[in-house]
Amino acid sequence: MMDSLLKVDNLVKYFPIRKGIFRRTVGWVKAVDDVSFEVYEGETLGLVGESGCGKTTTALTILRLEEPTKGQVIFDGRDIVKMKKADMRKERKNMQIIFQDPYSSLDPRMKIKDIIAEGILTHNLLNVRERYKRVGELLEKVGIPAENMDSFPHEFSGGQRQRIGIARALALEPKIIMCDEAVSALDVSIRSQIINLLKDLQKEFNLTYLFIAHDLSVIKYISDRVVVMYLGKIVEIADKKDLFTNTMHPYTQALISAVPVPNPDYKKERIILKGDVPSPANPPKGCRFHPRCSKVMKICSEIEPKLIEIKEKHFCACHLYNEK
Amino acid sequence: MIINNKEPLLEAKDLKTYFFTENGIVKAVDGVGFKVYQGEVLGLVGESGCGKSVTAFSIIRLLDYPGKTVEGEILFKGENLLRKTDAEMRKIRGKDIATIFQEPMTALNPVLTVGFQISEALLMHFKISKDEAIKKTIELLEKVGIPMPEQRINEYPHQLSGGMRQRAMIAMAMSCDPILLIADEPTTALDVTIQAQILDLMSTLLREFNGSLIMITHDLGVIAEIADRIAIMYAGKIVEYANKRTIFYNPLHPYTFALLTSIPRLDMEMKRLNVIPGIVPNPLHFPEGCKFNPRCRFMTDRCKEEEPQLIKVEEGHLVRCWNIDKVAPEVKKGLLVGV
Amino acid sequence: MNRILRKLFSNITSLIGIILLIIFIAIAIFAPVIAPPLSEDHYLIPRMSWDINPQPPGSPMSDDIRDIYDYMGAEIKYDRAICGTAEGGYDIFYGLIWGTRTAFKIGLITVSVSMLIGLFIGSISAYFGKWLDEILMRITDIFLSFPFLVAAMVLTTVLGRGLDKVMIALIVFGWMGYSRVIRGSILSAKEETYVIAARALGVKDNKIIWKHLLPNTIFPVLVQASMSIGSMVITASALSFLGVGAPVGYADWGQMVSFARNWIIGSPGHAGQYWYTVLYPGIFIVLFVLAWNLIGDTLRDILDPRLRGEL
Repeated sequence: MMDSLLKVDNLVKYFPIRKGIFRRTVGWVKAVDDVSFEVYEGETLGLVGESGCGKTTTALTILRLEEPTKGQVIFDGRDIVKMKKADMRKERKNMQIIFQDPYSSLDPRMKIKDIIAEGILTHNLLNVRERYKRVGELLEKVGIPAENMDSFPHEFSGGQRQRIGIARALALEPKIIMCDEAVSALDVSIRSQIINLLKDLQKEFNLTYLFIAHDLSVIKYISDRVVVMYLGKIVEIADKKDLFTNTMHPYTQALISAVPVPNPDYKKERIILKGDVPSPANPPKGCRFHPRCSKVMKICSEIEPKLIEIKEKHFCACHLYNEK
Repeated sequence: MIINNKEPLLEAKDLKTYFFTENGIVKAVDGVGFKVYQGEVLGLVGESGCGKSVTAFSIIRLLDYPGKTVEGEILFKGENLLRKTDAEMRKIRGKDIATIFQEPMTALNPVLTVGFQISEALLMHFKISKDEAIKKTIELLEKVGIPMPEQRINEYPHQLSGGMRQRAMIAMAMSCDPILLIADEPTTALDVTIQAQILDLMSTLLREFNGSLIMITHDLGVIAEIADRIAIMYAGKIVEYANKRTIFYNPLHPYTFALLTSIPRLDMEMKRLNVIPGIVPNPLHFPEGCKFNPRCRFMTDRCKEEEPQLIKVEEGHLVRCWNIDKVAPEVKKGLLVGV
Repeated sequence: MNRILRKLFSNITSLIGIILLIIFIAIAIFAPVIAPPLSEDHYLIPRMSWDINPQPPGSPMSDDIRDIYDYMGAEIKYDRAICGTAEGGYDIFYGLIWGTRTAFKIGLITVSVSMLIGLFIGSISAYFGKWLDEILMRITDIFLSFPFLVAAMVLTTVLGRGLDKVMIALIVFGWMGYSRVIRGSILSAKEETYVIAARALGVKDNKIIWKHLLPNTIFPVLVQASMSIGSMVITASALSFLGVGAPVGYADWGQMVSFARNWIIGSPGHAGQYWYTVLYPGIFIVLFVLAWNLIGDTLRDILDPRLRGEL
């Protein structure tokens, strides 16, 4: 039985919509709306969904880079939402993040050795000489020759910058790393390099990943378990194999069928969704997916389905399965 | 799909487009040739910097300074587009050849309503009244699946979602019944469920109009769905050119093979992703010989010195590589098993 | 950095600006050599005569002045008013040379202090936001609502004559532009991913502002500052011209134009007779401001392509 490293309970993040001269709050963007899941030590939990589903906001809120509106985040047994700022700062050593855009995630004015060393310096972990020695080791680990450590970010390609970002995240020896669309902005031929690197590092350092992506193919390749989000809510959680062979939620089915496969003979059930993703400021009543669902029933527009464990370790939030 | 095999609708011959920058000459497109027949979809596949977008802009002759098409022919219905005057090109653009771009927000004018932009195109190419143009615009918006089109024509691009904007772009492109559509990464910026909708729409419209499509993308999955023939581009040149089945089941160029085995996919269990080492080359410093050689696992000395030409391996299959005999057995092993 | 220097030297307008600036710097440094001071207070312009009427260029020192120097035993280093004298016999040449030092003093001090104040207020306003931002920006607005020249005049009148009072007035009403510019830059920069990355590492707020935000946003402020140096000098000159700036006889270009106030038109029948009282100080002011403007212009042009990401 794996240990739960991160437990997210009823996490809520609303962003206020302000209008008027006095900037009154006229509504809320319900980016993350009552999300609960667990991440076990050593696993890769994939978090997948389309734009506006709240997956990136979930990661930022867990790390308190956005303050949660409500809810608990229990990391290694401690509720980090309730922590004071100073304690949270110390806790950050254990939870790091890799960002999507390799071009804006590195300070263009800093040498990469300083970018990677910044965390070590902030927490006073090593003296100057040891610090840069460690930077050199980290660079080699991510596949960049250490003699380049005095260079600036603009001297590197996108894939290389992403490696530097990975080295920065590793510098603090975290237990969990959030990969926020870490390969989405990279060229196709570079993506596999970074994916393989992340897998190797996970083995070597016994890392736990929360891997956020919109590309189901990448999620399928790298995850152990998968969480599917839609418009701020979790619609399905399952082991990777189960999610694809015993797909439960109609949205997940549509998502899987929509992914293009590089195989001319691949036959799949064509589920084309109607309409657009609604705005998270004004989500539909009841089940948020009901206006676009091919299997919609009357109850779906009235009552929101709860996320229930339908089969072992396979959760789904859908009225189709609620009778059981 | 009715494919007319007699004369190609569009034929590019030895197209060369260079950018004359202050840092040197960038050979963005360096000797590219392909044929598009009526009713057919040609996929132009490659990563960023391979020259596929520049090829598209060269065809419709909307290159920005300092780019210039220095050599080659682009035969559209038998006539060389590169020899046409600006006025003649303006008549062709939008009417015979239409384009869809990746970012609908930048392709659509943000301060003009959607309806105005579409009817503007209609009024430019057809002798109809303003009311007729508006009527046709509403019909078009309905055809591309935009709900409540009478309302939508008075809305601005930012009021529409990404998927809707792209549909509006398609409506604008199809408005004058073009015979050739060039789509440059039309769905890359869209969510995957919206992408499925748009690809579905494009296929339907093409079938209806029996039009041709040049689909430019880096996504091999999208290409597998929609293309008939595929040209794989790398560093400004076509490295492999064949029909869809050949590309996916019998590729012979190391780059094609590497691409296919390095992407994660839903239909197979992959133990490990193949890695293409190195990075896409800087167009100002292309390597000597074959441009792919620094990253190629089949590389030999000849590859470093001499650039291979496109060889016809069999009817309709061209490959630019010295070592296809080495590649073929690897393909048999690796491709359908997921390496 | 190298790119910036290369661009600065490749442009003809910026070259002119740089050359002019170098000439002015040389004048300022070598002032004691070019116009040797004749008394202990170097900034007190020596008089060539007691004559109210300005004397034309080349006029010799008058005898009664010469007698005073002989009496005091001071060495007379030069005895001709090369550029003429202003009202009251003040040597224009001396005033111009030592006025260069004054111009640099005024320009550099007022601009750097107002820039520092503006940077401080603007950056904490942008970074911490919410009510602090509101309060600081409303204070900025209040200061901005005073018409600059009038406000500076009022303040110097209240504080009294003197160059330091002038500088205080210019600073008090001059910092707002910088705070607005830096606030805008930081508001957008703080959403940049590398700033979020620094927060994720646990870096403290003041370090984030200092190490990440300011270095990446300061360039437009520097451009604004270099353009302002010229305008500060002009405003100080205007204040001196109106009589509320530097004390009488102080080596300041504005002072010297102020001396010319009664003599600009000339005497009846001889229009422009006293041209040298206006022209020489005028040229110096114009060229000085021009130099800074040209350099600032080029810095701004360098800034544009960088904004487009060519760095």
